Amino acid sequence: MTGGGVAAGIVATDVHRHFGTVRAVNGVNLTARKGAVTALIGPNGSGKTTLLLVLAGLLTPHAGTVRVAGLDPVAQNSLARTRTGWMPDVFGTWDSLTAREVLTTVADAYRIPRAVARPRVAGLLDLVHLGEYANRPAHVLSRGQKQRLGLARALVHDPEVLLLDEPASGLDPRSRVDLRHLLRDLAADGVTVLVSSHVLSELDEMADDAVFISRGQTVASESMAAAASSLRPWRIGTLSLSALTSWLTDADVAWRPATGHGPGLDMPHDEPGSVLVDLAGAKQASELLARMVGAGQPVSSLAPAAGALEHTYLALEEERR
Amino acid sequence: MNTSAADGTPVAATPAPESPAAPPSPPPPPESPAATPSPEAPAAPGPGRNRGAWALSWHGIRTVAVLELRQRVRSTKWIVALVAWFILVGAITGLTFAAFRSDLTTGIQTEPWIGRTIFGLVVFFVLFLGLLVSPTLSATSINGDRAAGTLATLQVTALSAAEIVFGKLLASWIAALAFLAVSVPFVLIAMSAGGTSAVAVLSTLALLAIILAAVCAIGLGFSALTARTSASAVLTYIVVASLSVLSLIFFGLTVPAISATDQVRVYDVPMDSVWDQGNPQCTWRVQAMKQVHTERTWWLLAINPFVVVADAMPEAGLGTPGDFVTNEDPMSLIRRGVREARTGPGYEHNLCLSNTSSGPVQRALDRSPVWPWGLGANLLLGAIAVWFAVRRLRIPQLTVSRGTRVA
Repeated sequence: MTGGGVAAGIVATDVHRHFGTVRAVNGVNLTARKGAVTALIGPNGSGKTTLLLVLAGLLTPHAGTVRVAGLDPVAQNSLARTRTGWMPDVFGTWDSLTAREVLTTVADAYRIPRAVARPRVAGLLDLVHLGEYANRPAHVLSRGQKQRLGLARALVHDPEVLLLDEPASGLDPRSRVDLRHLLRDLAADGVTVLVSSHVLSELDEMADDAVFISRGQTVASESMAAAASSLRPWRIGTLSLSALTSWLTDADVAWRPATGHGPGLDMPHDEPGSVLVDLAGAKQASELLARMVGAGQPVSSLAPAAGALEHTYLALEEERR
Repeated sequence: MNTSAADGTPVAATPAPESPAAPPSPPPPPESPAATPSPEAPAAPGPGRNRGAWALSWHGIRTVAVLELRQRVRSTKWIVALVAWFILVGAITGLTFAAFRSDLTTGIQTEPWIGRTIFGLVVFFVLFLGLLVSPTLSATSINGDRAAGTLATLQVTALSAAEIVFGKLLASWIAALAFLAVSVPFVLIAMSAGGTSAVAVLSTLALLAIILAAVCAIGLGFSALTARTSASAVLTYIVVASLSVLSLIFFGLTVPAISATDQVRVYDVPMDSVWDQGNPQCTWRVQAMKQVHTERTWWLLAINPFVVVADAMPEAGLGTPGDFVTNEDPMSLIRRGVREARTGPGYEHNLCLSNTSSGPVQRALDRSPVWPWGLGANLLLGAIAVWFAVRRLRIPQLTVSRGTRVA
C-alpha cells in the first residue's frame, strides 16, 4: 500500500463519485507525495470538494480506490481519519465556545490526553495568531480568524495527511503568507499536504506538484519544476520599445505587444514599454537576457508574464474549447 | 480486520516503516493511535484497531455531551425557559391546591384521594410540559449541526457515529432532567397533601425521566432523518401527540369496529320471576349482548405516557383492591380503566342484584401492571430512533439523501 521508495501520502486511482445523475468525480487519478505540497486545481464545480470529502473518509467512492497514509478510508475509516486533517471549504464553529475550547474539544474527540493537548492547543493558537483570542467566544472572530481557527483544528492531532479546501479564502495578505510558510514547514516535517485553491499565484509559490481536474476528471498532473520549464510567455520591459522590437526582429525572436498596450500601434515608438516573448524556462530567459544586454538594449525587466500554474490552467481551458 | 503487526506475516501494508523504530520504543497504547504528539510516532506502530460506527466509549460520549451542554448552557434562552417552567408548574400547583382548598381545610380528616388527586394533577402537568419541551431539546440536534457546518468536522475525528448520537442523546436528556429537577419542589409540595408515599414519588419521577429519555431519542432520530430542522421538530411533535392524544382518539374511534353482539352467559334473576315473592334465586341463562372488545385495542391506551405514569403508581393501601370508592383519584381511575380494557368484557356477566360480589362469574380482572408494556413500547421507539440516527451518521457515506449536505 505505501509502495516502495518515497511513500505516497495520498493515492487515488480512477475515483468515481456521483450524486444522483450528477457525476461529481468521474475518474480522478491523483498522487500526493509525502513531504510535499500538492495543489489541486480546477474550475468551480470540477469535483475538488467532493474528491476531498472522499479522501477525508466522509464519502464512499462509487468506483476506484483511495489510499490515505497507506490506509483505505472505506475499510479502515477510523484509522485513516485519525491520520488525516481536513479543513472544509465552508464550515461552522461552535460559536459559544472560546477558541481554546474549540481546539480542546477537538483534541478530546481525537482522544489526545489532556496533558498533551493543553500545550499543543496553546502552541496552535499562537501558530495561527489567535493567542489573544484564546478566551474569547468564537462568534467574535472575523471570517479570516475563523478560517485560521479551522486550520488549527485540522492540525490538532498532528495528521500525517492534511487536506485543505480553499484554505486561503477570507485570509488577509499577511495570513496568506503565514499559511504558505506553515504549509512549507509541515511538508518539510514529512506531512503530505493537498491544497485546493483557485488563487493560482499563491499555489505557484507553495506547491511542489499540481493536479488539474476538470469536470470530475484529472486532466493533467505535473510537478512545478516541469510547469516552470514549459513554454510560456515572458514579459520584457524596456526603456525603448522601438529599439527592442527591431532588435528582436533582427535576432529572429518572435514577439508580440504586451496586452494593455495601445492597439493599432503598428510602429512602436521610442518610449518605455514591454513586449511578450515565448520562452521555455529560466535557462532560455537568462540566455536571451545576456544577448539583449550584450547588444546594448536598455532592458529593465524580464519575468514570466503569468504564473506557471495559471499558464498551464489556461492552456488546458483552451484545449477543452 | 487488522491483525497485529507482531504476527510477522509479511503483509505488504506494515513491515517497511516498522522495522527500524519498533524494537527500542515501548509498545504504544493500542487504543489511541493519534494521541502521540510527534508526527513520526503513528507511523511506527501497527495500525491499531479500526473503530466502527458502533464503537462506544464513555470518553467519546462525554466529549460530545460536554460540547452540547456547554453550548446550551451559554445561551440565555436556557435560563428563561427554566424560569418560565418553574413559574408554570408553580402556578398549576397553586391552582390545584386552591381548587381543593375547601376539601383540605374544612374536612376534619382529609380524604387520601384528595392528596393523590393533587399529586396526580401536578405530575400530569409536569409530564405534559416535559413532552412539549423535550422534542425541542433534541429534534434539531443533528440536522441543525449539519446546517451550521459543524457536524462533519466532528464526524472526521476519532469519534464514532454511535458516540456522537449517544453524546447528543445524553446531553438532551440531561437538559430534560434539568426541567424535571425544577419541578421536584412542586411534586414534593403536592405529595405533602397526603395519600402518596415516598416510594410512589420516587418511582413516578424515575418513570418521568425514562419517558423523557425516550422522547429525546425519538427527536434525535428525526433530526437525523430530515434536512430541515422545522420538519424534524414537527415530526417529533406528531409522534408525541400520537402517543399521548391521538392514541386516545383512535381508541375511541375504533369502538364501533371492536363492538360485537356476543352470546354471553348471564347470571340473573329469571325473566319470569315475580318480585313480590321474596328474594328470587338467580340462575344462568344465555343471551345476546352487545360488547366492546377493548382487549383488542387496550394497547392504544397502554402506549400513552400518561397511562404509563398512572398505571405505575403504587396502589393506595386503603380499602380493598378495586374498591371504587376509596380510589377515585385520577391515577387510580386510569389504572383501573386500562386494566379493565385489557381484560375485556368476557363472556359471563353477573347481573344478579342481590349478589354484590361477582358470585359464580369466572371473569377476573387482570391486575398485572400495564405500564411495562407501555414503557417498553416507548423505549423501543427510542431505540429504533437511536439505531437509525447512528446509521445515518456512519461514514463514509455511500448515499447522501436529497437536500442534505455532507459538510
